[in-house]
Amino acid sequence: MPSLDVLGPGGPYRSRRQETIRDLAGKPAATLSLAPSLYVTRAIKALRRAPALPVDTRIAALAQAGRAFATQTIAGLTAQEYQHTVSAVTGIPITVVRNATDDIARAAERIHLNVENARPAGAVRSWRDPKARDGAAVWTRRGEVFAVHAAGNHPAVHQGWLDALALGYRVAVRPSRREPFTPHRLVTALREAGFGDEGVVLLPTDHHVAGDILRHADFGMVYGGADVVAKYAGDPRILPQGPGRSKVLITAETEWEPIVDTLVESISSGAGVGCVNATGVLVEGDPAPVAAAIAERLAALPSLPATDERAVLPVMPVDPARRWDKHLRQRAAGAKAWLGGDGIADDLGDGSAVLRPAVHQLDSPFAEQLGMELGFPCAWVAPWDRDAGVRPLRDTLVLTAVTTDANLIDELVAEPTIANVYVGDHPTPWMGHGLPHDGYLAEFLMRTKTIRC
Amino acid sequence: MVEHTDGEFVREMMRWHFSPETGSSFWLKRAETLGFDPLTEVRDFGDLGLFPNVVDELRDVGVRELIPRGYGDEHGASVYESGGTTGQPKRVMYSAEWHRRSVEWFSERLDSHGVPRNVDWLSAVPTGPHNVGAMAVDTAMLRGGLNFSIDLDPRWVKKLIGQGNTDMASAYTDHLIEQVGYILASQDVGVLFATPPMLERLAQHDDLVELVNRKVRAIIWGGTHLDADTRDLLRDEVFASATFVGGYGGTMMLGTSVERPGLGADEPCVFDSFAPYTTFRVVDPDTGRVVPYGERGQIVLHHMSRSALLVNNIERDYATRIAPVDGGFGDAVADVAPVASFGDTAVVEGVY
Repeated sequence: MPSLDVLGPGGPYRSRRQETIRDLAGKPAATLSLAPSLYVTRAIKALRRAPALPVDTRIAALAQAGRAFATQTIAGLTAQEYQHTVSAVTGIPITVVRNATDDIARAAERIHLNVENARPAGAVRSWRDPKARDGAAVWTRRGEVFAVHAAGNHPAVHQGWLDALALGYRVAVRPSRREPFTPHRLVTALREAGFGDEGVVLLPTDHHVAGDILRHADFGMVYGGADVVAKYAGDPRILPQGPGRSKVLITAETEWEPIVDTLVESISSGAGVGCVNATGVLVEGDPAPVAAAIAERLAALPSLPATDERAVLPVMPVDPARRWDKHLRQRAAGAKAWLGGDGIADDLGDGSAVLRPAVHQLDSPFAEQLGMELGFPCAWVAPWDRDAGVRPLRDTLVLTAVTTDANLIDELVAEPTIANVYVGDHPTPWMGHGLPHDGYLAEFLMRTKTIRC
Repeated sequence: MVEHTDGEFVREMMRWHFSPETGSSFWLKRAETLGFDPLTEVRDFGDLGLFPNVVDELRDVGVRELIPRGYGDEHGASVYESGGTTGQPKRVMYSAEWHRRSVEWFSERLDSHGVPRNVDWLSAVPTGPHNVGAMAVDTAMLRGGLNFSIDLDPRWVKKLIGQGNTDMASAYTDHLIEQVGYILASQDVGVLFATPPMLERLAQHDDLVELVNRKVRAIIWGGTHLDADTRDLLRDEVFASATFVGGYGGTMMLGTSVERPGLGADEPCVFDSFAPYTTFRVVDPDTGRVVPYGERGQIVLHHMSRSALLVNNIERDYATRIAPVDGGFGDAVADVAPVASFGDTAVVEGVY
């Protein structure tokens, strides 16, 4: 059984305090070392003392690490073994894990796009730039150490902090205790590719110590629910990453029939576990036929163990799956169930259950269920009209707006709480390299300062 | 042989505490509601389970009622209080005789760890109303040293943490560290006596770590629990040039237990009590049965001396049960850690 060590500035560290990570059937899959507070404090201090690599070295190391991450044996695991373990432990379908592996690798290989695209057009990279002689804005780091409380819902969340490394921050990642395999592998690959032991560290901790990581770093990013967002809302050093609540809006003058594929993909691609998966579908006009069409398509998805090549739905141990089922039914009270109304937990008989898709129809675009995001394909279809306006579309990571109304698009693009707007027939999970997912991380981590040499 | 001795000791203690000439008014009065006769029915350690846990009564009882009459006017009593971790503070009385014996025993244990004598101490532990400060002063003195003490109010820190005022708790700890720094910089300190949170905070200051490593030859820790990983780091990486000695004590123990000397670096920290006066039992909290050696359970504490009788006291801590040294009394304990809640009160560990 693999031991996932703490990856600290002095090399791997195996603590006495170990946690067993189990697969869906309850079989031990790995042990995880948990770092005590003192270790964390010292590790972050060491990161602060370590110099940043030159930018070209960083970019090259990221590319190399990305390739190794996706293809090589790292920390004793081949890519296939790694993917199988993640699938078996998290219940994320194996093909989704495989795609995420490739996504992470490509993100690392193309990180220079993010960094270059994020730099203000007028700012130069270095004081050595000839422009600085007459005075120029130079793009600089606001701090030295960046900490991440990572989420475990999807391996691809780990693309989220690569920008910080590319920008010259030393990065401390606190993995999710549910899925530490991806960050362990990625951090190992990055260290081997040139970031070394003091460029990036993996600090698994219990929740008591978790806060210490953020406290000692200059800046941090935290994934979590609404509670986490609220907790860090007032802390200018912390960038909370909350629920995605991605949505699709279909206005009356557009045809919805041709884009049913896009709707289904938005809701269920990647097993529906991501923040970019659509939660709300707002329809100008009668939402019932749209809900019916989505439900029909989603109902056809098979229930299979996550490690099956054909699996497309998430799997969970039976007990929590039943709890989600119950929770969904309570919250869905009053809504018309098109799919999943008679339960979404499909027992596989091995201690685990598939979480089947759910489609509900709501009466109002202001129904509170529209903000409810769950870790499986779960859509809420609601009516929308011009009077409701942008309000029901707020707090959205990705909004696919199937509309030809330029004034409405203006409004949507201008709305500060909508992070990304895709106009027309584009699924919400679409992402382009070099484009921001929730703003460029660099907007948070960098500043310009005037320099004159 | 041991059984005979242990019974003999228990019966002697019962005679002292429950005879009208020698017992305290607290116990003489309390005996009426016990439902058994301690003088005839409590024959050995095993019978101590008959006693109720009376420590909660120590939150209200007048301390003079705790003084055994047998001491007459020569009791030399000092009053100490618990940290109030589990509610209102509890109050106990230490006779001068007990305090002296406790300090002597502590000092002998320090000798067995090779803690140097004739060096000065810096004690970053609470002073009154807690006993540990007096213990520091008198142990340092007994061993030929002066004691530099800083003020430390653990209850205030716990209150801050309990209210979620972590920033203020942190500022208070910084304030304490500043005081520690003044002493470390200006005085020749050979022994540092501090709580684990203070040591952890000290470890964040490179200049102070350097001073400790240059001057201090032994670090005695106690007051809050110290997990094995942090202990390794403090001992092997941060303060690598000092001998580490752990103590596990408490007001209701009327003293401390001390880390067993001679264990390897990979072995857990085992605490031996000052038997037969203080003894541990490690029990299953659900059944009350003693757990097998090597397994974890809740600590039940007995204190029996002429100074006090506080037996069958269920502590807030969990520990691994370890065999006592050389057929001694009770259990030794390892990997002591507090339970998350105790009664209805969440356990908050502060700087002490």
